[in-house]
Amino acid sequence: MSAILEVKNATRSFGGLVAVNDVSFSVPSRGVTAVIGPNGAGKTTLFNVIAGTISANGGTILLNGEDVTDFKPEAKAAKGLVRTFQLVKLFQDLTAAENVKVGFHLKTHGGLFAALFQPAWARAAERNSEKTAADLLDLVGLSKVAQTSASILPYGQQRLLEIARALACQPSILLLDEPAAGLNAEESERLARAIRRIAADGTAVLLIEHDMKLVMDIADDVVVLDYGRKIAHGTPDAVRNDPAVLAAYLG
Amino acid sequence: MTSSPSTTLPEARSAVQTTRLPLATAAVWAVSAAIVGYALIFGGYAATIISFALIYAVFVSGLNVFMGLTAQVSFGQSAFAAIGGYSSAVLTTTYAWPPLAGMSAGLVFSLLAAWAIGFPTLRLKGHYLAMATLAIGLITYEIAVEWESVTQGYLGISGIPPLGIGPFEAVSDRQILVVLSVVVLVIAFAVKRIQHSRLGRSFAAVAGSEEAAATLGINVARTKLVSFLLAAGLASISGSLFVHVVGYVSPEVFGLHMVILAFSMVYIGGLGTVAGPLIGALIVSILPEVFRGMKDSQDLAYGIALILILIYAPKGIAGVAGAFDARRAA
Amino acid sequence: MDNISLVLQSLISGISIGCVYGLIGIGFCVIYNASGIVNFAQGAFVMIGGMATSVLMTDFQLPYAAAAIGAIIIAGIVGAAVERLVVRPLWNRNVAIFVMILATLAAQIVIERMAYILVGDQPKTLPPVSDLPPMMLGGVAVNIQSLWILASSLIIIAALNVFFKTSRTGKAMRAVSINAEAAVLQGIPVSRMLTLAFVISAMLGAIAGILLTPTQYTAFNVGVPFAISGFIAAIIGGFGRPLGAFIGGIALGVIQSMAILELGAGFKNVAALSLLLLFLFFRPSGLLGSTR
Repeated sequence: MSAILEVKNATRSFGGLVAVNDVSFSVPSRGVTAVIGPNGAGKTTLFNVIAGTISANGGTILLNGEDVTDFKPEAKAAKGLVRTFQLVKLFQDLTAAENVKVGFHLKTHGGLFAALFQPAWARAAERNSEKTAADLLDLVGLSKVAQTSASILPYGQQRLLEIARALACQPSILLLDEPAAGLNAEESERLARAIRRIAADGTAVLLIEHDMKLVMDIADDVVVLDYGRKIAHGTPDAVRNDPAVLAAYLG
Repeated sequence: MTSSPSTTLPEARSAVQTTRLPLATAAVWAVSAAIVGYALIFGGYAATIISFALIYAVFVSGLNVFMGLTAQVSFGQSAFAAIGGYSSAVLTTTYAWPPLAGMSAGLVFSLLAAWAIGFPTLRLKGHYLAMATLAIGLITYEIAVEWESVTQGYLGISGIPPLGIGPFEAVSDRQILVVLSVVVLVIAFAVKRIQHSRLGRSFAAVAGSEEAAATLGINVARTKLVSFLLAAGLASISGSLFVHVVGYVSPEVFGLHMVILAFSMVYIGGLGTVAGPLIGALIVSILPEVFRGMKDSQDLAYGIALILILIYAPKGIAGVAGAFDARRAA
Repeated sequence: MDNISLVLQSLISGISIGCVYGLIGIGFCVIYNASGIVNFAQGAFVMIGGMATSVLMTDFQLPYAAAAIGAIIIAGIVGAAVERLVVRPLWNRNVAIFVMILATLAAQIVIERMAYILVGDQPKTLPPVSDLPPMMLGGVAVNIQSLWILASSLIIIAALNVFFKTSRTGKAMRAVSINAEAAVLQGIPVSRMLTLAFVISAMLGAIAGILLTPTQYTAFNVGVPFAISGFIAAIIGGFGRPLGAFIGGIALGVIQSMAILELGAGFKNVAALSLLLLFLFFRPSGLLGSTR
């Protein structure tokens, strides 16, 4: 199976600290890949480098074979790589449905003229956005709160909403930054179902996560980081029994 | 797209479109209409006051797009009102252009200026942005004072013709009032449409989180610039309207006072709402007339009112009305 | 020769007005470091300094020094009132930065207008601190008040430095500016520090106003232009850096007086505002780098 995302020798340091040290791996274009590691292993930094939120000191990031290392987040989004945030960043003043509709930005067009005169094509696009947003909210189980302001949703629902919004971009690869953080068991289970659905529908998923149960449940492939280096890469079962991984987690 | 689940319920969603009539918001519009209606019936001084309020409503609508919808700040919108106003004044007097042509030229100049200023300025955040825009407003004021060959300095330019298209001119109080009311309604309608469009959602996204907006492919810098241009355009139109209605322009019109007055209007009316600029402009313009006895303490009362609003009613009138309607609908 | 002495003379007057801008700028820094707030009512304190001194001297027959001290105390009280009545309720609600700017600007208007009601709109001035003729330094006439301004500013900056480096309260205020949460954990009363910051800042503004009034004049509406100059000084130096603000103030004063000399008095403000924009666009962290 071809790789959608290839990370080659990615390195990023802050002052003297090398947060990500020469990490290479590839993400297949189908399925769920998880990056795990103890606290301070460099997961978040690696994630930010891939997403374009911070720049890499060295190495390359290939997206569908194209070098996107120095692309800004919006340019990466246009190429099909979309992320969520560890601390949810929703558009608080908008409803849940409107938040998802913002996600259609790249797939739709129209500026001031379309807004003011609402030509037929713009109305059609708006109706289509309306319907697709409803479908996406349904996918993550938020249909009931579609017209609720994002700011007053419970935290778990905010996370799911952020995923729905990211999906609206129709990404070829979706990056999830600790999606289960702050979720209760039931919400976590719903999240796992949603992620499996997303992967089954053909979107590659790359996530970093602390919740081992979630990772072992849904990941097809696991990358383990420790002190900024990749120490293991394989199926959940293989990684679980890897001595280096056990040492990193226990030591 | 991900395959759509078959379990969606379209009728449940369309039901939301037909919520109960938003009574409180309707009441805000009704009060505004009543105030303008009063001025139309009684004319004279009331009409003059309400005309100024409507011109301010145009200016404040622009501020509302930039501050309310996009969560940016500009203390320098008076610069674009000045460019619009002076362009209209100079072109219609010295060069005898028709008002609409002068107004359009002013609009073009303002948009060009906003575009040039926007690039370096909109990268700034917080109080840096506030100060840079304030500086731009103050510099424009100084230019209006110093560039005497064009602006005639403190003396100002008088004899500016009234609003009009071809042989039709708005000369009487009531004619002016009708023209301005139409302009304000058209702008409110436009803002409403923008709010619920792709463009408006990108404004809201930038307001909510620039980082998240960028992640979804929104060009944050460009979005801010579009919002800034809209605000500058409306400011320019308000400047042109002012000079045609009054027939005179001087630098004092576009000083810091204008900015603070406009900020009060947008906050008292309700930041980010459609009706806010109009009701805010009307109330802030009428209040001094209600308290005419205390001429010396007008500005004092109005400074205190602004502080109280910011502390106790940060949503403003239309914001409170909207929240009330939302609770009824839920 | 005449030309050079003219340049030197405006250089000296530029430095002395620059010191005053610097003091106002330091006032911005003190509050900013304690809270991240930019207090646009700063100009009101400058006005109160000159105005209250003048009123206390003429209407209450107080001697100069007593009137000045009285004015500084009044400014401090007004500063505390602004913090308690306007800033605190908004700060507790964690409002957007421009709401705070607008609220402090409104406080400026309120104070200005109260002064107008109390003392009217007539400009007032103060006698020079010492009634001596200008000193001649190699053919350059130096106004004695300029020397007073220079000396007082330096003493105040030294005193502030001692206060922040050695006193318990001063150290606590610095701790708050470095990390407010950690300061809370150490039992530092952060909220009282904010009030104190406003009081100190207001007193600095008042001192600036007192030093300045003999060479210019004061009126109820002089505040905003001085606040803007002080802000520009703080930006040039690097926002939140008291020393930077002082250097920035002098730079601004000198550039302004050169602009007056070369281009005419009308360009004083344009020069200052253009300098501000240059820094904001090309070096927003100022000469020394801003603190936040």
